[in-house]
Amino acid sequence: MNTRPFLGWFVSPAGLVAAGLIAAMLAVFQYSVRAYIPGTLEVGGFTWANFEAMLRPLYALAFWNTVLICFETAVFTLLLAYPLAYTLTRTNSSALRSFILIVSVTPLFLGEVVRTYSWMIVLGNNGFLNTLLLKLGLVDRPLRMMFTSGGVIAALVHVTMPIMVIMLAAALSHIDRNYEKAAESLGAGPIRIFMTITLPLSMPGIVAGFSTAFAWTFSAFATPQLIGGGRVATVSTLIYQLGFSSFNFPFAASLSIIGLALSLAVIALLKKAASPLERMAGTT
Amino acid sequence: MLMRTDPMTAHTPEATSEKVRPAVQLDGVTKRFGDSMALHEAWLKIRPSEFMTLLGPSGCGKTTLLNLVAGFLEADNGEIFIDGDLVTETPAHMREIGIVFQNYALFPHMSVAKNIAYGLKTRGVDKKEIARRVDEALALVKLSGFADRKPRQLSGGQQQRVALARALVIRPKVLLLDEPFSALDKNLRGSMQVELKQIQRELGVTTIFVTHDQGEALSMSDRIAVMSAGRIRQIAAPDDIYRRPADRFVASFVGDANILNGRLVEKRGDVAVVSVGDISAEVPVAPIAALSIGDAVDVFVRPEHLSVTARGASGSLPGTVTTQVFQGGHVDLYIDASGSARERILLRSPGIAALSSCPVGAEIGLIIGSDDIVAFPPGEAA
Repeated sequence: MNTRPFLGWFVSPAGLVAAGLIAAMLAVFQYSVRAYIPGTLEVGGFTWANFEAMLRPLYALAFWNTVLICFETAVFTLLLAYPLAYTLTRTNSSALRSFILIVSVTPLFLGEVVRTYSWMIVLGNNGFLNTLLLKLGLVDRPLRMMFTSGGVIAALVHVTMPIMVIMLAAALSHIDRNYEKAAESLGAGPIRIFMTITLPLSMPGIVAGFSTAFAWTFSAFATPQLIGGGRVATVSTLIYQLGFSSFNFPFAASLSIIGLALSLAVIALLKKAASPLERMAGTT
Repeated sequence: MLMRTDPMTAHTPEATSEKVRPAVQLDGVTKRFGDSMALHEAWLKIRPSEFMTLLGPSGCGKTTLLNLVAGFLEADNGEIFIDGDLVTETPAHMREIGIVFQNYALFPHMSVAKNIAYGLKTRGVDKKEIARRVDEALALVKLSGFADRKPRQLSGGQQQRVALARALVIRPKVLLLDEPFSALDKNLRGSMQVELKQIQRELGVTTIFVTHDQGEALSMSDRIAVMSAGRIRQIAAPDDIYRRPADRFVASFVGDANILNGRLVEKRGDVAVVSVGDISAEVPVAPIAALSIGDAVDVFVRPEHLSVTARGASGSLPGTVTTQVFQGGHVDLYIDASGSARERILLRSPGIAALSSCPVGAEIGLIIGSDDIVAFPPGEAA
């Protein structure tokens, strides 16, 4: 029955990568249930101690912090990206389109570290933003923006923006413009058209973009590490600290496992919460 | 090249005799897209309750004209009136028009009832009244009982009915139909046309119908505006369009036409006499008024206006049958008459007699059996 025998060959590279990933995950899982022997990279026998240790407030707080940061980042990214994506798909001016594309997509090519460093320059005590506020006389002394979760979120929003704009623009451009024209002919003004037609029909893109932004941010490391400077604890910075400063591989591994589980759980929850919204768009 | 008619012939009859206030009026409306002229000075008056069809090939400007009336496009020049009110600058959502789109554009996230209620909600109609009018509209398009379905659960024909109900329920000043039948299969199309026409007449709603299908245009319209290359070529009743096309574009676009090589023999008053071989015939003088006696003309004859006679009969053209095509109710004969026409001639013979009487290769005589003949200055076969 298989009329395209070459399809198997097409997916085999992906299969190899997946197999490698699964092997690595199994190794991480294996580490997570081993005892930590201080002062050495060797690990001890089987134990659940690593997972039990995670119930301590320090780590629970880090998990809560991470979820909160990811959630806020996804919300702000969505709010900022939607108008951009909307303009991108609706403007007749090709100059404006190019401008939005360049502004929103080029950050993708810079990489997280470079973008984070530029945010450090903007947010620092002697940075661009504080200098500007001081010169304008809006503040007496520099606002503390570095090493705060606010600063981390600002930078993460920037990092997450391109993917959100692209996903929203894809959803918006798939909406038949005749729906909006039909609504207009039926007497709906621009705001009503947006609220009753465009927004509900773009809901699948909003849900997809939001979950992607959330997952994307959950695994972000360079931004919280550099801008948070160790004072904003997230799951990924904790894993780094434990694994590569304390060389407590077993505990870092168990943190990774729980982090992964948490992120999947939150995304599943988001999907569930959003399903009535998606149904509203009539796509499911 | 298309010969341009005198614009006066296309517009003056209504313009002068019109007494009632037109439901829709376009005064010299022009629309450009960049360098291309999408609509060139359109003058049009549509009477209340009239079914006006904009007919033409794709790119002729008919959809542009529709979008201008709807308010989706802004005119570069000219004025548009709906119901006597100047609406040239009025945004689409304040024009009180109903539109049925080619793909129906039913809101996919709303039920049939919500789709139909949409235009009533924007107008702030109260809930009870909305429910009553939605029911009424559903009954009108024979879809009672479908209120809670989603558009994707409906067939193409049902979707079209919902689109029509949604457009009509707001009691629009004008109903605009943008090629509404093109997505339906042929059988359904015929019955929907009859039904739409019936509803339109029942409600007496002024309608502008855009199509490239001359059959639809001829069968449904009160009047047709034939368009080409951004211009309105002729505005007239369907039978006038068919019998007295104003220019060679209209003559060739609407219905089939044979072009015979003729000569202008005489001009007297409204008519001119042209000759093709031994045949002479009277035609309207207007399209060829500028020519002089003895000039060559192209004589347009419909396939059903030709008939077969014996070769050499007086007043006939010699020809040879090259192909027979049996069409059920009639027989199409393709006739080579190279002396009188540049291309082979199509003759439509009713019944089936021609199958045996005019076999391929038969040498026959052709006669013109109708007064509905027109002649135009010679040109390319448009």
